Amino acid sequence: MRRTVLSATALACTAVLAGTVPAFADGTTPSPVPSTTRSAEPSAVPSEAPSAEPTRAASPVPTRDSRQVAAVPAGAPDTGVAEPSSDSGTEGALIGGGAAAVLAAGMAVYAVRRRATRA
Amino acid sequence: MTPLSRRAFVTAATGSLLAGCAGRAPERTAPAAHRRAAPSPSSPSSRSTAASGTPIALGRSVPVRLRIPAIGVDTPLLRLGLAADGTVQVPPVTAHDRAGWYRYSPAPGQTGPSVILGHVTVGAYGDGVFRRLAELRRGEQAVARLENGRSAVFTVDEVRTVAKAAFPTQDVYGDVDRPELRLITCGGPRGGDGYLDNVIVFASLTGTTTGTTP
Repeated sequence: MRRTVLSATALACTAVLAGTVPAFADGTTPSPVPSTTRSAEPSAVPSEAPSAEPTRAASPVPTRDSRQVAAVPAGAPDTGVAEPSSDSGTEGALIGGGAAAVLAAGMAVYAVRRRATRA
Repeated sequence: MTPLSRRAFVTAATGSLLAGCAGRAPERTAPAAHRRAAPSPSSPSSRSTAASGTPIALGRSVPVRLRIPAIGVDTPLLRLGLAADGTVQVPPVTAHDRAGWYRYSPAPGQTGPSVILGHVTVGAYGDGVFRRLAELRRGEQAVARLENGRSAVFTVDEVRTVAKAAFPTQDVYGDVDRPELRLITCGGPRGGDGYLDNVIVFASLTGTTTGTTP
């Protein structure tokens, strides 16, 4: 009878130990800690670095290097023509008057010479 | 202690020990799962939203008409280039003259300064299309209709009268970070060769419309 009791107790202790060892192994194994740190670090670093830098570098470059106005004109635009009609009118009158005077002088010379030849 | 009671005691002790050891396992694993899940949402997914209040720029389409209701301007637009001496071409001096868009500048609605020029007077023909440009005030609108049917609505930011000898080339033709419009004509006192000043209107895009505008 004592053997039976002792064997049963030994079986129970064995069962307890067998149950507790996996529990310790599950609770104390360092597998969750390294797995989280290893999986988090490599994925965060590469995804941030390449995506952030090209967008920052690319946006200012085209606006500074290529001008929005392809050819910048020289000087100020001349977008106002004042009324030149009065000036050009006086100049035309002078030219016309001069031509008429020359023509009248020529006619007078011609008339005087013709009278002289008749006389 | 009778043999029956001993067996019962041993069986009960074994059962309670096994039950106690087995019952703790799921309680430990559950928090571990929460810890793994917690840090992941705070990572870089929230950076994607950027500036949302910027003006909507249009694609390049040649402007065909300009309206400035406040000063009664409604004119077809010519295309102007550069003259032989490097100055900007200006519209021809005719009766009922028109304004012109400098074709080496961005089209109205594109990012950058779009430049439109017109005469203040056209000699013997009298007033030019931009005769009243200096009367524009901040907040008034100019609408450029494009060849593709869309219209770019600009709001006046500033009206500046400058001496031709000190024309602000960088302010007029320099790069900007939004769609803008420059309206240029002559003004100020008249000298022997014409007007001594330029009137420049600086405006920025505040809206776009599709289809023809009345």
